[in-house]
Amino acid sequence: MSTTSASSWLTPKRIPALVAGILGVVLLIVVFANADQTQAIVLGLGGGALIAAIALSITLNYQGSGVVNFAAGAIAMYGGYVYYGLRVNGQLFLPPIPNPLAPIEGIAHLAGASSFSLPHIPVFITLAHPGQGAAAFGTFVQQPAMPVWAALVISLAVLVLLGLAFHFLIFRPLRRAPVLAKVVASVGLFIVMQAVIVLRFTSSAKSVAPILPSRPVHFPRGVSLPSDQMYLVLIVIVVTIGLWALFRFTRFGLATRAASENEKGALVLGYSPDFLAGVNWVASTVLAGFFGILAAPINQSIDPITITLLIVPALAAALLARFNSFIVTMAAGLGIGMLVSWIQLVSNKSWFPKAGGSALPGLTDALPFVIIIVVLALRGKSLPTRGSIETIKLPFAPRSKGAFPATMVLGLATIALLFVVTPIWRLSIVNSLVGMVICLSLVVLTGYVGQISLMQMALAGIAGFTLSKVADAHHIPFPIGPLLGATAAVVVGLLAGVPALRVRGVNLAVVTFAAAVTIQNLIFANPSWSGLKGASVNSPSIFGFRFGQNDPWTKLTGGGKGLLPNPWFGVFCVIVVMLLALAVVNIRRSRIGRHMLAVRANERAAAAAGVSVSGTKVLAFGVAAFIAGIGGALSGYRFGSVTAGYFGAIPSMIFLAYAYLGGISSVSGAMVGGIIVAGGILTTVFTNWLHISEQYTLLLAGIGLIIMAIQNPKGVAGAIRDGVHMIRRRRDAKGAVSSSGADSVPVEVAV
Amino acid sequence: MSESLLQISHLDAGYNGIPVVRDLTLTVAPGEVVALLGPNGAGKTTTLITTSGLEPMIGGDISILGSSIKGMAPHQIARLGVSHVTEDRSLFFSLTVKDNLRLGNRGGRVDLTTPLRYFPALEELLDRQAGLLSGGEQQMLALGRAMASSPKLLMIDEMSLGLAPVIVERLLPIVRSIADDTGCGILLVEQHVQMALEVADRAYVLSHGSLAMEGSASELEANRNLLESSYLGD
Repeated sequence: MSTTSASSWLTPKRIPALVAGILGVVLLIVVFANADQTQAIVLGLGGGALIAAIALSITLNYQGSGVVNFAAGAIAMYGGYVYYGLRVNGQLFLPPIPNPLAPIEGIAHLAGASSFSLPHIPVFITLAHPGQGAAAFGTFVQQPAMPVWAALVISLAVLVLLGLAFHFLIFRPLRRAPVLAKVVASVGLFIVMQAVIVLRFTSSAKSVAPILPSRPVHFPRGVSLPSDQMYLVLIVIVVTIGLWALFRFTRFGLATRAASENEKGALVLGYSPDFLAGVNWVASTVLAGFFGILAAPINQSIDPITITLLIVPALAAALLARFNSFIVTMAAGLGIGMLVSWIQLVSNKSWFPKAGGSALPGLTDALPFVIIIVVLALRGKSLPTRGSIETIKLPFAPRSKGAFPATMVLGLATIALLFVVTPIWRLSIVNSLVGMVICLSLVVLTGYVGQISLMQMALAGIAGFTLSKVADAHHIPFPIGPLLGATAAVVVGLLAGVPALRVRGVNLAVVTFAAAVTIQNLIFANPSWSGLKGASVNSPSIFGFRFGQNDPWTKLTGGGKGLLPNPWFGVFCVIVVMLLALAVVNIRRSRIGRHMLAVRANERAAAAAGVSVSGTKVLAFGVAAFIAGIGGALSGYRFGSVTAGYFGAIPSMIFLAYAYLGGISSVSGAMVGGIIVAGGILTTVFTNWLHISEQYTLLLAGIGLIIMAIQNPKGVAGAIRDGVHMIRRRRDAKGAVSSSGADSVPVEVAV
Repeated sequence: MSESLLQISHLDAGYNGIPVVRDLTLTVAPGEVVALLGPNGAGKTTTLITTSGLEPMIGGDISILGSSIKGMAPHQIARLGVSHVTEDRSLFFSLTVKDNLRLGNRGGRVDLTTPLRYFPALEELLDRQAGLLSGGEQQMLALGRAMASSPKLLMIDEMSLGLAPVIVERLLPIVRSIADDTGCGILLVEQHVQMALEVADRAYVLSHGSLAMEGSASELEANRNLLESSYLGD
């Protein structure tokens, strides 16, 4: 500290922060000069409080158990619904619980005893009955069934149980698993919670009565804020200070921080990181759920999507605070809420960028993404990575043997199948083939290089929209159009992948997820591209032969028109899948594949061995984006149109689930992943043969994903491979007894 | 052997069910400094890791103050009064020296006098982040943190790793005085055989996972040839 000259604080590192600070102050002056803008900013506090609460829950979770919980928003939403069900209907809903008696009943039905019935597990537990309604202005107004306090107490108890369940059933078994498995499990949790709510309450919005008193509170300069929002902000501030004090001054908080840095150190000092993680899981679940309950009435309604997706700004806020400081997390959450509200106001101004006559959409969604990118660009390498004892490695990426004959046989068999099955099955095969392509892109990026991407469907969408809006609009013919689309996907994929050179693990998952949300809302939902209706895609044709999904076709035998969909489109998909599968197999076999696996295993060691880590990552991002782009073009042809919802952030998340469930690190895994995608072959088996409602498939996928993350990171394909190996080894062992092979020395002796 | 603090009997220890240490029997009494010596890969660290419960034992038994620790979690063993200074020191780098010491004393009141009495150099560093300390300071902090809980058994793994011999020469006598003052038993894994034997009461020599020699420090010093040959692996 000897050189305390005037210039010593202005280091090059501080210039970005300084510039940002000056811009912020200028912006504040401009905003506060206009009363309506001040009002808009203040009104953003309510939404900001909910973002802050979810962000606090994420930070608490990360501190306690090293998991970045993508389901934090879903937990808040779930809490809101638990309260809603109790307060309005007096019913506590239960998630679907498998009934051990169901198979017996099913067998009895098959045997012909259709009236045979065994007890079912209830869907709702009724605790109180709604009071009689009175007709007011022609609408039937129901009296709430349960007083606020009772509904609140029961909801909080349910949240405590949920937190315990999350810890003991999901994240405790995963405590030594790699980041990927933890991210995947939290994505599984996200899917399950959303699927349960849709099953129990449908996806339409429910109106919610206020909990906190709502009357305007007036501030100077004509600014006012409804009192419920003010209370929400005050509660979030109190909670933040409480958390800060807990972590600052108590042995519990100190031990949690210690265990999050070094689990072994905590263990040998007599602390149980497991116990600490459990307590923190309960606390973070209750925190998110409680604010979900309190905040839902501010929007006057609750639906399964809105609060769930607040995970994106919440992640931005938590990332700004490095998953570390509660105070910064809260301030960032409130700040994002206020900025969003301000952007919404100024988007009505005449100078705001316009698209198709109305204000450019999606800028409010782009804001968290911009924050995340800026934060990561400025200090990517200083972000914390948790020092846990990882003993479970990433799944094995096998070198496929006999891939070419296997691909030919399976491909030709599928082609033959396409011409003989009924239209429903033909459609499901095509859906699975398109899914396989997307899963293949994840095999390259996530399976081989270990980069977690939650934006592959968004990249597919870039290709789909390019095909529709650039190629078709300019009459660019078939093979060039989709390739152009895939190239566009590569460009966007590389742009979004550049941050990956600076961040890794879960931080990359956050970046890609935010990128997907941004691409969806800023580009796909842009009215001049598609709006919400979608953009049409012309059916493909080559040399005048049209083979689109809905083009008429002539039967191979006997002539006459066949039933739609056109099997030749399926043939085209099979060929694309075969080509891409063989290409990915070859990547794994080549020097590039070895480089990729080296980067996945240990970046520093790979660099020391002469592998260009950045180059390998960029290549993987490019290849994966290209494959995803081809998938996007295929799905554009499949539906005849591209829509924003189909290519959004949540589909990207769900596709990571399918790919992981199938087996993220092998081509065969991608094939299995394609079979289990929604609308694919497995769905059709479920709905047509097993008569399981389509709504349950997503739930089953989510549960399967969590189980797979815990039990078998190799996925379904890996489990099959292991089974085949075991049978082979047994057979070989039998043969080896007579010849007494010298290579069968027991491992124990060799040590 | 009723007074033994740590009793390891016929221990098989290793990883994933494959033993590295075989049939080891070892005792530490209160107030005693016991050195565990041996060449690289002999199984010294494995013995300590198994005693503190970080890896499950494969066969045999370990008991502390007469009760078996079989099946106990590491934090439960630590609460019996076992302090393990691991090879990597396991410090919490993002926390201050003071917070590290506070965490050392899990149950009771925060009392920094014991660690600071043995390591007065830490006094000035209390508000510094542990990650910013030098190697020797980190080792002092690790020892001081282990002392903060007034352990009955202190296990120190490779205290000299990465430290200048000068510093090791200063630290080892402190280890001796901890045992003399507090009556705590110390199991010391050390590469510097000569220095370790100077402070230890007794020593065990491991070679390829099994016990090659044991005896009082003076016996072993008198028997240099045998000691050296067990290192060289005959």
